[in-house]
Order: sequence, then structure tokens, then C-alpha cells
Amino acid sequence: MSAGRSTRLIWFVTWFNVRMLLASEFFILLTFISPLIFATLGFFLFRSGGGTAGQTLLYVALGAGMMGVWSTTLFGCGGAIAWQRWEGTLELLVNAPSRYDFILVGQTFGAVVFGFYGIVATLAWGVLLFGMPIQATYPLLLPLSLLAAVVSLGSLGMLIATTFVLYRHANALGNLLEYPIWLITGLLVPVATLPIWIQPVSWLLAPTWGMEAIRGAAIGADPPILAIVMCFALAVAYYVAARIALVYVLAKARRDATLSLQ
Amino acid sequence: MAASPSDVPAIEAIDLVRTYRTHTGVLRRRPMTVEAVRGISFEVRPGELFGLLGPNGAGKTTTIKMLITLLLPTSGTARVMGFDVVTETNAVRQRIGYVFGGDRGLYDRVSGIDNLRYFAELYGVEPSEQKRRIASLLELVGLTGRENEKVEGYSRGMRQRLHIARGLLHDPEVIFMDEPSIGLDPVGARELRQTVRSMVDAGKTVLLTTHYMFEADALCDRIAVINAGRIVALGTGSDLKDAIADRTIVEIETFGVADEAVERLRADDEVNAVNMEERDQSQILLVQSHRGAHITQRLLSLLGDTRVGKVVAREPTLEDAYVHLIATTGDDEARSARAASVQ
Repeated sequence: MSAGRSTRLIWFVTWFNVRMLLASEFFILLTFISPLIFATLGFFLFRSGGGTAGQTLLYVALGAGMMGVWSTTLFGCGGAIAWQRWEGTLELLVNAPSRYDFILVGQTFGAVVFGFYGIVATLAWGVLLFGMPIQATYPLLLPLSLLAAVVSLGSLGMLIATTFVLYRHANALGNLLEYPIWLITGLLVPVATLPIWIQPVSWLLAPTWGMEAIRGAAIGADPPILAIVMCFALAVAYYVAARIALVYVLAKARRDATLSLQ
Repeated sequence: MAASPSDVPAIEAIDLVRTYRTHTGVLRRRPMTVEAVRGISFEVRPGELFGLLGPNGAGKTTTIKMLITLLLPTSGTARVMGFDVVTETNAVRQRIGYVFGGDRGLYDRVSGIDNLRYFAELYGVEPSEQKRRIASLLELVGLTGRENEKVEGYSRGMRQRLHIARGLLHDPEVIFMDEPSIGLDPVGARELRQTVRSMVDAGKTVLLTTHYMFEADALCDRIAVINAGRIVALGTGSDLKDAIADRTIVEIETFGVADEAVERLRADDEVNAVNMEERDQSQILLVQSHRGAHITQRLLSLLGDTRVGKVVAREPTLEDAYVHLIATTGDDEARSARAASVQ
């Protein structure tokens, strides 16, 4: 498959997946409304704790937005696989002559890119309702931080989606992964305040570094170079792991007949 | 001398076996192996319309799924256009299209044309070719003018036709259709048969599964009857009918016939087989016999006090041949396939 053909395929699947997600009322609620609810709760919590400084509000808004991005990633990657299995299209996608990892990349990035709306929405919400100042300490690094976060979350989403291909009830695992990841990746409270033993797990997860990179570019004291590099490094590691897992998963799915519900 | 392309069977299955591992029980889970397909062999020639006919659970869908590379055979081999379905999956996938019956397998929340565009990309149809190809397929399946409507608003017949268009997008050489007319009304089923026939006229090879005898008889060049995971007969519709050509079918309409009366018929030396169809108020007994219409009086006397309506003696049809085959390869086979081994 030529590079041009592969790029077109990924772009087309991304676009189609965004359209499919936009047609889902549950996804609209999840992506458009829930980050605003998280942000509102966060703003009031921090205010009641005396945290009224502009930077604190921005810290909260970015964290709330990223919570929405993570939820969208889980639903858009894993949940979409469960949905495809239910509507009988998963077999068609896996069995198409195109490379299935490219299809997964398109599906995943469609969800993640869309999820980043959550960050924009929570920032606007904070400005309009809570008088939050918008600032960026390193404005040139902010787009790069956002890109790094998108790429790393997308790759993690793809890795998770491979397990959803294999197991019919993997969406239950998806639900389990939502709140714990919010807690241990620094979206609500800094990773440094977590117990020492959990922190290595946080460092292996894309949202930790994605959040670190975005917050660093917006309100950090130092440029978030390490976080950006870690995002890209983890993205490569996740993608390689997903490719390896996919070979095993697809062979096992053919052996165990798990691609359909029939 | 190398085989020419026309020498290569379009589809070749050699002793295909497929078992599933499952379990029974909740607290004390007992592993169980179900033999869905138990050594199936057949060949389909290029350009042939081949039917796999069998009751629900006979192994038709499992066979198709192995041939289209969705399932790995437990043992045996299969090739499509000369390519092995286990080791040369991509070559097989590029050459096949498949259509499953029923409501599933489409993106309901977008339009029919969006479904086709999406799958055209996935099937590697050249962008310059897509528009023309999609338009001609919409024309073929009779969906021109409805393509911009959301699929969730389509009737079952329209969905089935969209399935067919999807399966033909990349102009495959071999098309697998798994019970494509299931749930269609008679007009929709007739249109579908015309579409299938036009595909064969265009040079495609079609393997079609169905449990409608009429459909198999009307469409297929050859038919394999499959029951409990095995092929129990293979030939043209006429070949299959010939197996019971020397018999007469006596149809007896009864009202509230008792099981004992049916058993008396079955036990009679002059009777080869008895099948019963339930109707709203009545039961139709289909009795096969070598004795011709002369047996009618004897059958009525065996039914005793049973209230009897219309009685007709006629020539056997493919349906009778099918029922005979399924009945005679019967229950023991099916039971042993379902619970081959409880470990």
C-alpha cells in the first residue's frame, strides 16, 4: 500500500469516525457537556478551598478539559469497537483488504482530535463564567504540546482498542479505566501529591505527560520539553505495542470467533 | 504443464473441520467442544452459482466464514481462486465480496452513499473510479434516488440491496452470500434473486447459503445439502429430486392430530418418511411412500379418529428431497455435533 493511499485511508477513516461520533447523542453529551460539568465542579471546589488565583483556575480548566479528552478517547476508541461488533461492521473492517492498524489509527485519532474540543470549551467556560484569565507562558510551545498530547493519547487509545477487538465485554474494562486514569495522571491533583508507589504507573500513561506539556506551556515555570518528548516517545512505544498486539489479537479472533456476536 | 486460470476451482474446500470451545454452567463451568463443521469437501467452478442448503445450525455460516478468512479452520484446507484462506488471507480478501443477510453490517446513522464511499476506501477502490462504480452499483441494486437517505430509515429489502452493493464495490471475482433473502418479502426476495442471477451472468462466481428450497432450486447450478456439519448430498436440483423420484408424496390436512397417530404412520412398512407442518388451525402431514397414491386409504385408516381435511397425492419436489435428506441424516448426527465431547 503506497504512502499516499495509506494517508488517504487514515484521513478518510478519521473523517468518517468523526461523523459517526457526531451522530451519537451519548457522544455529544460526553464530549460537549461533561467537560463543562467537570470544570464547573473544579472551579467551585478550588474557590471553596481559597484557590482564586488566575493560574489555579487555568490549572483546573485544563485538567477538566483533559478529563473530557480521556473520556472521549476511551469511548471513541474502545466503545466504538464494541458498537461496531454490535452492529456487525467489525468483521467487515477487520476483513477488508486494507491494513487494519491504519483503520484503527483513523478511528482513534478521529475520537481524540474531536475530544480536544473539551479543552477549548472549558477554557471558554472559565473565561465567561469565572473570569479566568487566558495566558500562555510559552505560546510557541502550546501548539506543539497540544499536538504531542493528541498523538500520545491517540496511540494509547489504539493500544486499548486492540484489546476491545479481542474481547466481547472489553467495554466494561473501558468504564473501569475512566476514573482511575483521571486520578493517577494528574488531571485533578498533581502527580507529585500521589503515593510514591503509584507514580511510576502515572509516568507510563500518556495523559500524565500530555497534561504536563499543556499546563507547562500555559502556566509552567520552565518550558515543558521533557513532557513533549515523553509524549512522542510514549506514542511510538504504544504504536509498536499495538502493532505487535494486533497480530496476536487478529489471529486469536479468527481462532476464537470473537469478532461478531453471532 | 501449469494449470490455466480456468482449471483452478474458484472455491475449493477439502475436509474442512471447525470446532468451537464453549462451556456450560455458571458456578461449575464445564468445558465443551461443539463441532460446527465436520469434514466438508466441495469445489465450485468459476462462474458457477453454488448453493449450500441446510437447516439453522447446520454449519453453513461457519463454512462461509472460514472461506472468507474470518475464521480459522480447526483442520482441513480451503482455497479461493487458488489462494489458501489461512496463509494467503490478503490475496483472498482482495478477490472476494461477501454479503450477510439480516439488518446488521451497515452504519445506520449515515446515508447509504456514505456507507458505500467508506467501504470503497477500505476495499481499495481507486478514488477516480469510486464515483462511477458506486453509481453503477446503486443502479444495479435499485437504490438510485434513495442513496442520500440515512440507512436507519431503509426497509429490510433496501438494506439487503445496500449490502449487495457493498459486497460488489471492489468488483470481486467470487461472492459469498449468507442467507441474503432472510426476512425479505416475496417481491424483495424475487428482486434479490434477479440481482444474484445478473451477477452470475456478469461472470461472477457465487456461493449462496439458504434454507429456502425454492430459492436454491430457482437459482443454483449445483446444491450441497448440509446437515449437522456434514454434506449429505451434492448435485443439481434434479439430481437431488431424483433421489426420491420413485416416491409419491401424500399431503393430508388434519385438525388436532395426536402424536400417537403420527407415530403409527411413521412405523408403517409402506411409509418412508412423515413430516408435519403446523398451520394456524391445522397440521399438514407430508407422507412419503413408494406405493403411489394407492396408499392413501391405508394412511387414513392409520390416522383413526383424526379429523381430516384435504388429501392430495403429488410428485416429490426439491423440498421433499431436502426434508428426506435432513430427516435421514438426522437427529443422532446433530446431537453428536452439538456436544462432540464434554471434557
